[in-house]
Amino acid sequence: MTHRFLSHASLTALVAELVAAKTRVIAPVRAQDDPEQVDYRPIHKLEDAALGVRLTRGSLKEFFLPPTEVLLHYKQTKEGVEIREVPTEAPPQVILGSTPCDAAALEVVDKVMGWDYRDELWFGRRAASTIVSLLCTAMDSTCFCTATGLGPDSFRGSDALLVPVEGGYLANVITPKGEALLQKYAEADESMKASAEAAQGEARQKEEKNLAAIPPEFSAWLATNFDNPIWKTIALRCHGCGACAGVCPTCHCFDIVDEHDTADEGVRRRNWDSCQTSKFTLHASGHNPRQSQSERFRQRIQHKFSIYPSRFAEILCTGCGRCTRACPGGMDLPKLLDELMTLAKSEAKSSEPKGSSL
Amino acid sequence: MKELQDLARKLLNDGTVKVVIGYEEGARGVRPAFITDAKQAGKLIFDKRCVQNLAAYLNPRRKQVAQLGTPAVVVKGCDARAVAGLIREKQIERDKVVIIAVRCGGVLENPETDSELTSETVSVRCGGCDVREPKLHDHLVGELPPAPPVNNHREEQIAALKKLSSADRWSYWTEQLSRCIRCHACREACPMCFCVQCTAEKTQPQWIDPSATPRANRAWQTMRVLHQAGRCVDCLECERACPEHIPLGLLARYVADSVERRFDYKACEDPAVAAPLGVYKTNDDEEFIR
Amino acid sequence: MSDEVEHGSDDAWSPKVVAFVCNWCTYTGADLAGTSRLQMAPNVRVIRLTCSSRVNPLFIIKAFERGADGVVVSGCHTGDCHYSTGNYYARRRFAILHDLLEFMGVETNRVTFSWVSASEGNKWQEVVNETTARIKELGPFRTLQGQKGVEL
Repeated sequence: MTHRFLSHASLTALVAELVAAKTRVIAPVRAQDDPEQVDYRPIHKLEDAALGVRLTRGSLKEFFLPPTEVLLHYKQTKEGVEIREVPTEAPPQVILGSTPCDAAALEVVDKVMGWDYRDELWFGRRAASTIVSLLCTAMDSTCFCTATGLGPDSFRGSDALLVPVEGGYLANVITPKGEALLQKYAEADESMKASAEAAQGEARQKEEKNLAAIPPEFSAWLATNFDNPIWKTIALRCHGCGACAGVCPTCHCFDIVDEHDTADEGVRRRNWDSCQTSKFTLHASGHNPRQSQSERFRQRIQHKFSIYPSRFAEILCTGCGRCTRACPGGMDLPKLLDELMTLAKSEAKSSEPKGSSL
Repeated sequence: MKELQDLARKLLNDGTVKVVIGYEEGARGVRPAFITDAKQAGKLIFDKRCVQNLAAYLNPRRKQVAQLGTPAVVVKGCDARAVAGLIREKQIERDKVVIIAVRCGGVLENPETDSELTSETVSVRCGGCDVREPKLHDHLVGELPPAPPVNNHREEQIAALKKLSSADRWSYWTEQLSRCIRCHACREACPMCFCVQCTAEKTQPQWIDPSATPRANRAWQTMRVLHQAGRCVDCLECERACPEHIPLGLLARYVADSVERRFDYKACEDPAVAAPLGVYKTNDDEEFIR
Repeated sequence: MSDEVEHGSDDAWSPKVVAFVCNWCTYTGADLAGTSRLQMAPNVRVIRLTCSSRVNPLFIIKAFERGADGVVVSGCHTGDCHYSTGNYYARRRFAILHDLLEFMGVETNRVTFSWVSASEGNKWQEVVNETTARIKELGPFRTLQGQKGVEL
């Protein structure tokens, strides 16, 4: 771990050089429809960015797994079917000012993307990206990264982590990619470590108030409580709209479709999908094992906090809080997790399951 | 709101209903409540932060709610129109739901702010409301507050769009709809989108491409708003649900204005009044027909 | 987009117009126009339906999506519908579609609604020729990015 000091002027120059070299630079930017909000968007100069203002509405996911992407082109000819695959090498991109929860999410999803089948489109974009995160100080009551084992200063998934200090940023250089990006514009400097660490500690303390750490036993409790009556009442207000999956940095399910412009020619695409939609598990026979929102919402919790951990030793959630912020039905994930964890603890003592007060 | 809470308690205790669908205080503001235990009736509230249209929960596809039993639902006048729509279109039976209407003086555009109701903060759909004392009800509760201020923001946006050239309007909508990720949250949150199989889900043939491409997004939103013509109650749940913040309310309002202008019809609380696209007049406008 | 043809170039872009017509009136009228050897622009592809009321707005949207530059929707005059009331319902539906398409940036002249009776061969000729001329003037329908697998 080395440290470098990056002044505001140097960062401006670095961004200018990247843009001139046709590297896509993505940063939080004030939203056009509501300047109080920020979204990750490509920038052309540093002044376009709104760093550290507040949490973005969407995650980094769209820059690694687009909402729709072409997998191959097909064309039927007299000789047969011609298939043209898309390149898996991606153009270079730099993410600047991401929150540590969003960077970590990429590493968490890497596990399934490299599991039984290596998703070359995902890893192509991962390889082409350098991620420079920023210490998060804009937490609100919906987020809970510390509860998932991360934190507002987590290094996971980032190539460098910037901490605001006097005159600029102290960069924690985490990977060789981070070093390669910063060495020209940022001088090695270990002198500001202490003040940076103070800021980091303060941020951690603030975040820890939101939700207690999720204990390792929680995953097993969920698995053995698949039929707990609480699932029938916990998701009554859920519309099954899938907005949560759209904004979630770790949700990665997709649907594959073929689309044709003519009878002979078309593309195969993959599109974002969500287990919260009513037809997600509809079988060709007409049977749907998850008939109501109760079962579908149970699946969301089970997948993120039990199934994925048991398979990959990772919680499929980074505590960013976006699902709660985006939900039109008032679902509240940290509160829900708190209730479930409390139920799990109390059931460890007594054997009487209670209904949800949610 | 004591009157509301007492009523809920009574309805649950005497077995008239099995669940009261209303509003409660959540950790982060007002959220829908499903009270099945009379002892919890004290949780029910009603104030200017209650923007949600709870009629959506009466949709028979919401099995987890339907399973609870006969519902009572707390509605503002605008929401009552949606209940009327569901009854009109035979999705629910009038005598199978208890409608608790509240007298309303408008709701906030951003309920999280909990500010005073002014022409800047009030929802764009509240100005000129003529259903502040809903007629469709089994019970009517609350005091009648003053009429809500008028927020012209949406009318101004529509007027501005109308002034643009056709090409500029095309660009505007292409740009706005480019953010659409085809999550269909707009559809799921809408009380009037109750179809078991949506047009967009039909695959033989695939009329509307499911991918989030500009052309498919345009086809999807155009069809959804057309299918809502004369049925939409302008609750703006679609816009609120959209995770990409696409101004769907502009489309909803524009079509509603078109329906009103051409067919002299506004969304109404009377289930006996036919939906405008299901009836006709022999002298309907046909200035656009050659 | 590089595959968009310049309007007015010598490469003679010719409008593609799709017509959704009702079997009983307009289709017969179009047939009459043909048997009467009336001169008509060749750009209109006719799709026969049972009634103008069968026209789902999706047909029109899909036609534009798949390469049409203009669309014609035609049926019986009101009061003369073979099914009595089909075109009355259709008229209401088309009115809203017409308004919405305009709001979303489709030039109103691209979609022509008409009532053409079985005996109005001449009127069909006019509809075809005028529509084709109007679309020629407007140019090709706006190309949409995202077509044919373009990356986002």
